Amino acid sequence: MIEVKNVEKKYGRKRVLKGLSFTAEKGEITCLIGINGVGKTTIMKAIMALTPINSGEILIDGKKIRKESFEKVTFIPDTITMLPQMKICDAFSFMADFYKNWDPQRAEELLQFFKLDPTERIANLSKGNMAKVNMILGLALNVDYLLMDEPFSGIDIFSREQIAEVFTSHLIEDRGVIITTHEISDIEHLIDRAVLIDNGEVLKEFSVEEVREKEGKSVVDVMREVYRG
Amino acid sequence: MTVKFNNRDPVYVQVIRHFKEQIAKGYFEPGQEIPSRRELANQLKINPNTAQRAYKEMEEQGLIFTEGNMPSCITKDEAVLKSVREELIIEAVDLFLGSIKSIDVPLSEVLELVKKKHDAESGEAEESK
Repeated sequence: MIEVKNVEKKYGRKRVLKGLSFTAEKGEITCLIGINGVGKTTIMKAIMALTPINSGEILIDGKKIRKESFEKVTFIPDTITMLPQMKICDAFSFMADFYKNWDPQRAEELLQFFKLDPTERIANLSKGNMAKVNMILGLALNVDYLLMDEPFSGIDIFSREQIAEVFTSHLIEDRGVIITTHEISDIEHLIDRAVLIDNGEVLKEFSVEEVREKEGKSVVDVMREVYRG
Repeated sequence: MTVKFNNRDPVYVQVIRHFKEQIAKGYFEPGQEIPSRRELANQLKINPNTAQRAYKEMEEQGLIFTEGNMPSCITKDEAVLKSVREELIIEAVDLFLGSIKSIDVPLSEVLELVKKKHDAESGEAEESK
């Protein structure tokens, strides 16, 4: 379980996270929803200790993040972090050098699933294919938790569908996933929990099937109530 | 196997309904093996947790059964299978009656229309064969 407890984060005088709390379970897909600029990416960076927090606490399976934690949890940012002149296969060996948990077999399987050519240079890839390579770099790590920042933004519908399909497969099963999006419709059926965020605070946290069952509401219905009600 | 899901009913409930429809149509035979939870999630493009939940519920309702480590199978209980078909028919009739009620037409007129339409449609289906 990833526990984010009362986290506060300031950029200069601006409070970006105002005592934000939520939890994400292993084996579940938790979706952080909110418009641009509400602090979604900052939360992910805070979980990965890529940015210091001013107060509060973040625990992964009950422990604070340490060097060893990076074999347990990984972050897929919204842009690829590999050098553009690298070929896809170079990026893979780069990952293999850095992470004990890199699973080359799974990377190969994902390449085939996305129909990508490993000798292609990253700089020459389309935006959709770059997003797919970026996903592979995270998914091929044998980690318990995956954080994905806007994996669907700015790419075509078929690439989005292909990426969404990953969520229905054994590649995700049993892992804990935190995903951010401002475009929920791509994955409305796929997520377990939704965390609605605005202005650095959690407005509502709920199980999507439970809300459908008890209230007959879709995720978008709840969003409309919370953000516009 | 594809299913169009709506956003307001629990996905697992829609999955169960899909199975019931397949049973009623005779697509699934009594005792037939069904996909594993993982396969189902992949086929229907749903969260594996949802597939798991649907199977658990269907098991409780007696629609499917699992023996030990074997794959799950459709029940062989004729009474259950028959009731699935009846349940779906009654549901459809209720829905139909509901929408008829709101336009206030006599039943005899409606029934005649239903028959006419139905015959025309099945005639078309025959021809296209």
